[in-house]
Amino acid sequence: EPASQGLGIDEEVSVQKRARVPNVKLDEERHLDPLTRGRRLLGPAGLPKLRQRARNLRFKGKGHEFSDASRLLSFYQMWLDDLFPKAKFLDALAMVEKVGHKKRVVVARNELMNEGKPKPRDEED
Amino acid sequence: ADGAGDIVHPEVRAHISSLVSALGGIALDDDGQYQLGDDALEVLRDLKRWIRFYDEKTNRMDVARCIHEANLIEGDLLPILKAWPENAMDNKFRSRIALACFELMVPLTWPMERDKERMTVNHHRHLPVLELAQVQYKRAIINFDGARILHAAVRAALPAMALPIGDRTARDQGIIKLVLFFLRNMASIAPPPDGKYDGDESHISRSATIDAFSYQDIFHVLLTMASNMGEDFRTEDTTVMEIIYHLVKQVEIDKLFMDERQLNQAKASELSAMMKKEAVMLKSQNRMGPTRHNRFGTMIWVKRDDGKMSSLSGQDALADSTTRNKKMDDNKTFKPARRARKDNKDERDLGPRVKLNARANDQLRNFVEEFIDSGFNPLFLHIRKTIDREAPHLLAHHRRQYFYLVAWFLEAERVGRKVKKSNSPDVDDNDVNRFHLVAGVLNQEMFITLNRALHESYDMKDWTELTAVMRCFTQILLTVQEMTELGNEDDQEIAENVLSRLFYEEATHDAIANIIRTYKDQRFDYLDAATELVHHFLRILEAYSKQNVDMQVRFKKRSRRKKKQATKEGDGGENAEEDLDDSADDEEAAERTSKERKFDFHKFCSRFTPQGVVDTFATFTKYYRDLTDVQLKRAHRYFYRVAFKQGMSVMLFRVDIINLFYTMIKGPNQLDRSASLYKDWEELVKQILRKCTQKIQERPELLVELLFSKIQGTAFFLEYGYEKQTASKS
Repeated sequence: EPASQGLGIDEEVSVQKRARVPNVKLDEERHLDPLTRGRRLLGPAGLPKLRQRARNLRFKGKGHEFSDASRLLSFYQMWLDDLFPKAKFLDALAMVEKVGHKKRVVVARNELMNEGKPKPRDEED
Repeated sequence: ADGAGDIVHPEVRAHISSLVSALGGIALDDDGQYQLGDDALEVLRDLKRWIRFYDEKTNRMDVARCIHEANLIEGDLLPILKAWPENAMDNKFRSRIALACFELMVPLTWPMERDKERMTVNHHRHLPVLELAQVQYKRAIINFDGARILHAAVRAALPAMALPIGDRTARDQGIIKLVLFFLRNMASIAPPPDGKYDGDESHISRSATIDAFSYQDIFHVLLTMASNMGEDFRTEDTTVMEIIYHLVKQVEIDKLFMDERQLNQAKASELSAMMKKEAVMLKSQNRMGPTRHNRFGTMIWVKRDDGKMSSLSGQDALADSTTRNKKMDDNKTFKPARRARKDNKDERDLGPRVKLNARANDQLRNFVEEFIDSGFNPLFLHIRKTIDREAPHLLAHHRRQYFYLVAWFLEAERVGRKVKKSNSPDVDDNDVNRFHLVAGVLNQEMFITLNRALHESYDMKDWTELTAVMRCFTQILLTVQEMTELGNEDDQEIAENVLSRLFYEEATHDAIANIIRTYKDQRFDYLDAATELVHHFLRILEAYSKQNVDMQVRFKKRSRRKKKQATKEGDGGENAEEDLDDSADDEEAAERTSKERKFDFHKFCSRFTPQGVVDTFATFTKYYRDLTDVQLKRAHRYFYRVAFKQGMSVMLFRVDIINLFYTMIKGPNQLDRSASLYKDWEELVKQILRKCTQKIQERPELLVELLFSKIQGTAFFLEYGYEKQTASKS
């Protein structure tokens, strides 16, 4: 019996790539069915949270345009940081914008818009 | 590598080197003249055959490589040409030898194409060496002390050029072509863009080329040929154009028309402006920079909503909340997947902007002025006809070069006149009608060609050509506008006519609106050209439609199919009936008929408010640190128009655009405060931001919509608080 056998050199070692941890899509889970797309944005940490936090957003108005804008921007930045902690501000904005064209999100956006519209007569009655 | 590490076949190398040594050599006696070998002419012909039947037929570059290694051009051909004195024109043998030399030099200096379909492993092996070899050839040829090689080339073609066009044989035509190609190659060779050339750039720079062209009287040849185009010369038009193209491309026109003193002044002020810019940049860096050593170890907590905390390290985090936010952002490393940029094969064609020295500047300016006076109309008229009839000698890149050159010379004409006028304001230039000099590109046929090229290059996605077309369009608009302002009465009438024709076709309006709306990832040059065209088109059309209140445009009727669809979607009853009537008519004809209707500028403008257009201009503005004042003004006017003239400021309310505006004025990399347009921008941004916060308070739902692109209907509702009343919905 050759010595090499004892060392196990001749035995075939299975070289297999370790499965990579799937790259989580920040905006959506693409492999899930299309209906669930954009669900993180519509989930509790998404738009509802944004609207809830907006109640604390105050602007100073005329003469303070730039500080107001700064406040507004950091408001969005903090919200996005909670929503997609990995992505940079501008990248996250681009992602959200992209998801904005998904049907579910469009529907949700329209609902929000309709809340703001003057209500038709029959509902008032 | 084949054989013993040699990259070309050893036999090929042996053949070539024996041929080169049989060509001749430097005599050993004192004067060191070049002695021709006994069969020099045959040797030259053999070399030519090797190039043609080995390199070109089998698509290799081995012979060219061997010739480069044997130093044929510098060591043999140039000394041979030196021995062809100017008074020896009658020496038949000598002129034959000279011609044979050029027949070799033309293929050796031919521009290299990186056409992926045709490239073999040999191309990849030889191209980098041969590109550098060509640069060396150019350096040797235009700086050769012993003789004026370019001039010698023209001399070789003179007998053929002197003949009337009808008497020229095919061989004569070939000689003229050959020499023009030689000049073209000399003009077009430039060091490869990745900076592999380590020789002295000043020997091969554009300035050196222009100097050589001027000193060797090539400009005269070009002027003669251009002004006789269509009479003594016909198929040479595109090659002459190519030579001029490679000479003037990317030359800055406003610098061209400065004299030496002004040029020095401009360069000095440019330098001081750059230094100031750098100082400001350093100062802003310093303000952010640490005041203690880098291991000082500051660490802070940032309190956030919902009782969360984030930690940040470094002293600069203490500065203010903007810096903190930026720091938190910069610490993130994730990058979303992006598609790789496509490698553009035309990328190296235009190259960077060219800086000329004062001497070359003068020489080129003289050439440009003389060319506009004599050669502009004949040459460009002729090439336009060549393009229209799609002549066999027309290549794909000629169209692009044509539009580029027309734009360049129109601008040069305008700038040149302005400079002249400011230098001597008393001289009235009404006696010479200046616009006649460029009338060749202001006729109806030109507009048809231009329009067709605009549509075709857009459809074919040929962005480089489309860039050239858009620049040309812009320059024509500007020239015509100047005609209405400065010209005498005749000129004004002509200009009115031209404008009415330019603005008559609604298809053109559509094309321009489409181009700007569908911008995506093209190069900056394209972006610049597109925004420039839109800016001037809107501006001049606005002025024109104000003057001509009942302006008419021709528009195409919608095709029947579309109407049917619209009917299905529940249009009003009246419309549906009309459609039915239409469909009863001849179907094909219905699709093609066109009608006239009154032009409504405000409505037309609303085509430039969709999100796509806003995004394009926002992308353009993102380069604000590098934009010139003119470009900044262009963006400023556009946003002003959208927000306040069209009343669609809501289109600008998206977080990334607001962020862009904010950082432009207040961010760490803000717009240069001393820039002349800083005040304008600050005011505009301030107004927009104020309007934005007001709108948010008015309509809280905007907070969500601020994240997304908006369609017109949504934007209208947010802006005015009610649905837009449209005819179809009534």
